[in-house]
Order: sequence, then structure tokens, then C-alpha cells
Amino acid sequence: MTALTGRCWKFGDNVPTDAIVRSDLVFGSMSEMVAHALEHLNPRFPGEVRPGDVLVAGRHFGQSSGRAIAARVLKAAGVSCVVAETFARTFYRNGFEIGLPLLECPGVAALVEDGDVLGVDVASGEVVNETRGGRLRGRPTSPFLLEMLAAGGLIPLAARLAEEG
Amino acid sequence: MNFVQKVLARASGRASVEPGEVVVAEVDRILLHDLSGYLTARVFEEEVGRPMRYPDRVVMVFDHHFSPPTEERARVLQENRRFARRHGIRLFDCGSGNIHHVAVGHGLVLPGAVVVGSDSHTPVHGTLGAFATGLGNYSHAALGMPFGKAWFRVPETVRIELRGETGPCVTARDVAQWLTGEIGEGGAIYAALELAGPYVEGLEVMDRWLLPLIAVDVGAKSAHVEPDARTDAFVRAVTDAPFEAVRGDGDNVAAVRRWDVSGLPPMVTCPPTVGNVRPVEEAAGAPVQWAELGGHGGGRIEDIRLAASVLRDRRVHPDVRFNIVPSSRAAFAQAAREGLVEALHEAGATWFPPSAGSNQAINMGALAADETMISTHARNFPGRNGSPEARMYLASALTVTASAVAGRVADPRELLA
Repeated sequence: MTALTGRCWKFGDNVPTDAIVRSDLVFGSMSEMVAHALEHLNPRFPGEVRPGDVLVAGRHFGQSSGRAIAARVLKAAGVSCVVAETFARTFYRNGFEIGLPLLECPGVAALVEDGDVLGVDVASGEVVNETRGGRLRGRPTSPFLLEMLAAGGLIPLAARLAEEG
Repeated sequence: MNFVQKVLARASGRASVEPGEVVVAEVDRILLHDLSGYLTARVFEEEVGRPMRYPDRVVMVFDHHFSPPTEERARVLQENRRFARRHGIRLFDCGSGNIHHVAVGHGLVLPGAVVVGSDSHTPVHGTLGAFATGLGNYSHAALGMPFGKAWFRVPETVRIELRGETGPCVTARDVAQWLTGEIGEGGAIYAALELAGPYVEGLEVMDRWLLPLIAVDVGAKSAHVEPDARTDAFVRAVTDAPFEAVRGDGDNVAAVRRWDVSGLPPMVTCPPTVGNVRPVEEAAGAPVQWAELGGHGGGRIEDIRLAASVLRDRRVHPDVRFNIVPSSRAAFAQAAREGLVEALHEAGATWFPPSAGSNQAINMGALAADETMISTHARNFPGRNGSPEARMYLASALTVTASAVAGRVADPRELLA
């Protein structure tokens, strides 16, 4: 559940949610938002991203708006996981709340090039570059967030916690 | 315990909490605006499907639209209105003002409270000694609305101590922008910033306001000023609701960073990001076609007065459209009482309804590829206002107005000194 392998798309530091989903499209359809996802930073991304791909980024990924729509667009585009040096905190919350695994892994930007195949274990924090070798250990994910991910997001987790009192 | 530990311990019914722990706390206020409120409402009704537990804690403000420009947006606002009526939550409709100014102006934020919102600048309410932070729509829809709660990882506290006195034409907004550059985008990720020191204590509450406003853009979870007599007087002027103010014990501070603000020049945040902050002389000279007082960082009565002081014997440059967007109806009414509405109108400025102004060009403020705007807004990321090629500068009300007069980014000291 928390271990996966995928082809990488690499982005830089401080990627804002405005670049993930254009503000003028947030009332549009999901397919339209996906069709323009990250196009300003990499025009090939929306057309060529495939289910299971991994997104790798630098520091402070997902800054700016707190709308979960940015995380949902990446998930809808098929991204299986985002590994970043650090995340903007609302993006970090939103990822787990909608069921998109995220891993904070300082050093990952130097480990990975566009197109490399990366193995990621969100629970342990282990990251392996299967294309050119090299591995890192990111920050292990908190048990609360792993529980959220296992439940399928915050809505099912909250429902379960409410039933349990 | 520090300020944040005390507020979160009380809100989660525990004797103490430690940084790094995850807690589920009661929230006192959920603030939604017309964009994220719409997205949150859809999740709440379509995916969660539970009753609204505490409708009186939830407030929605239409601030991105002072009026819907398209049928699609008219429909969005209608759905928001129906949502508010269906669940009995308080709605401030188009023309009320900027979400955060509306909330504090109506006494909806109290010291010691836990305040959450869909707007990423929600930490600004830490100005009043609340623990305030922005959460995504799923947090509100899945925990906030049905259970009156939110989950938090208790943040480490970083104390920012500012001392010194600023020179002519250097306002709290300049200090806030400069501090953003010093800390850096993402330079305080997950931290709670405690804004302190003689400079902060000496500011009026609505000038302090500009400092916690930067929290999100340096990656912080929250920011606060410990409440004092000024806070108390400010809150008492807008509400008689009871509150229990909280101050930390001075312990459990992960880091203390100290700066002296003496000698700072006016600051300008340059394209393409909020961290690209320069002394005004480095940006001066760039032609601008649009200037705006408005958004999270402007449109206060204080900003309107500063603009009027620059335009007293001057006019807006013929090549510039200078738009003024009051932060609230109260700010506009006060400007009218002081004669500033007419004075600024006659000087060539254009008044817009109280709202979030050109924030993301939802209902105004789109730019063509070869246009430049200077404003008091909080953000300048490419693509937020029309063309990704357009350039956006951020500055204080004085620098924005001086630039509107000059037709280029201008140092207000050259006009006023």
C-alpha cells in the first residue's frame, strides 16, 4: 500500500498550486484541469503523464492556495506519489486527506533526473533510484497520516473515528 | 508551555501537548470564502453527507466576487447562498469586503480561539492572539463541519523579535515584505511564528496585522502576536463576547531570530515570487500601467489615508489606472467621512467595491502579457492575474501610490521627503 515504483517527473523549488491548477479553471471539469496541470512548468507533463508516475520536487512544493483541488488534480492525472525536499504544509495535509501519498525526502532533487524510475516507501521513508542507483531515507510518515492513507483519506477516517466514539 | 501549546491543549481537552504531537482540537471559527467555500460545500454535501454540527461557528464571505462577471459564477454564488441557508451558517454577500477584515470587524475572531479557514492567509488572525491557520477543504468538510474539530500537528514555535524604529515612508508593510525576504519562501516550514519585540509591540493592531499575514508565504503554519492591552481594546471595540486571552510562559521556543528594522528602505517585492524582495531603489523605474490598493495587504483605512497623503497635491499618471479596493464597508464609510473618497476620486483614482480586489483576477485585475501592476496584494506568482508573462510588484500603500503618480515603480521618499 505504501510501497510503490514509478517513472519520475522532476520539478524545482517553490512550485505554487497556481502552477498545478490554473485559478481560472477551478470551477471547470477535472479533465480540463488535468489537461493543463503543470503545463507552465513543463508543457509535456499533461499530455505524457501516465498512471503510476512519481512527481519529484524541490523545497516547499505546493505553496500558495490551500485548496485540495491541486492535490486532487495530480491524483486524477495518475500521479502515484509526490516526493519533495519539503512541502507547503496545506499541500501536505491535503495530499493525505484525499489519499495521495507524499514523502518528504531532503536530498531527493539531487538523486533523481526526469524519467528515472524511483521506488518509494512512504511508511519507512526509503527512496531508491532504480535507474542509476543510489538511495535515500526520507522522513518517515506519521502513523496518524499512514492510518489516514490506509483508510482512503480523511472522510472515511473521520467516519470511522466517529463510529468508534 | 508556549502560546500555541496552551491554546491547542485547551482546545483538545488536555493538560498539555508537545510539539510534534498530532491533536484533534475543537475549532471556534471556520472561515470560508466564495471560491474555497464552494469547493468545501461540494465535498461536505456530496462526499461527507452528515449534518452541520455547529452552524454558528461557520462563516462564509463572498470576497473574490464583488459581483459575478459570468453566468457560471452567478450560479456558483447562488449555490453558496443556498448552502448557507440550508445549513444556517452566516453569510456576508458580495460587497462586504475582504474575508479576514470582515471577520475581525464583526468580532468573529477572539483572543485564545482556534480559527481555521480555507484561505491560506487565515494565519493573519494570530494578530489578535488566536491560533489561526489555513486548512484544505477536506479538513473543513470531513472534520470541521460535521464534528466541529480539526487535526493539527503541534508546531514548533520560532520567535521573531523586531526592534528599532523605521525611517520616513517605511511602513509595517515594508517591514513585513522585508521579513518575508529575510526568512525566505519556505524558510519557516511548519513553524508557528511568534512576532514580538518592541517594534511589534509599538504598532497599532491593524499595522501588526501585516506581519502574521506573511506566515503562509514563508511556509509557517501560523503566526501570532501575544495579546496585550492594545489587542484587548481593539477586540472590545467590536464585540462584547467573552474571551480568555492566552500568553505563553516564555519556554519551549525552538529558535529566536532577532532583527533591527532601523534604517530599512521602502521595500518592493519583484516578479516572479513573494521571496524576491528588494529595496525600492533596485526596482525603481520599471513602467507600471496598473496600481491597486487592495487585497490582503492593503485597502485598510490606514492605506487609504496614506494614498490620500501622496495624492494631496498630485494626480495619478495618465498612463496608469489606480484602483482602490476598500478592505471592508467600514473602511469605505470611514474614508467617506474623512473626505478621502472624493479627494482620491478627483485625483484620478477609481473606487471598487469592498472585496478581495484583483486577487487572482476573479472579477477584476487581469493583465495582458505586456502589462505590469504594482499593488498591496499578498502574492505575485505568474499566472495569478491573467497572462503568465505579466509582471506584478508588491509594495506598501505609499510606494504603490507614488508609483501610480510616477507611472513607474517609484520611491515614495522622493515625493514626500
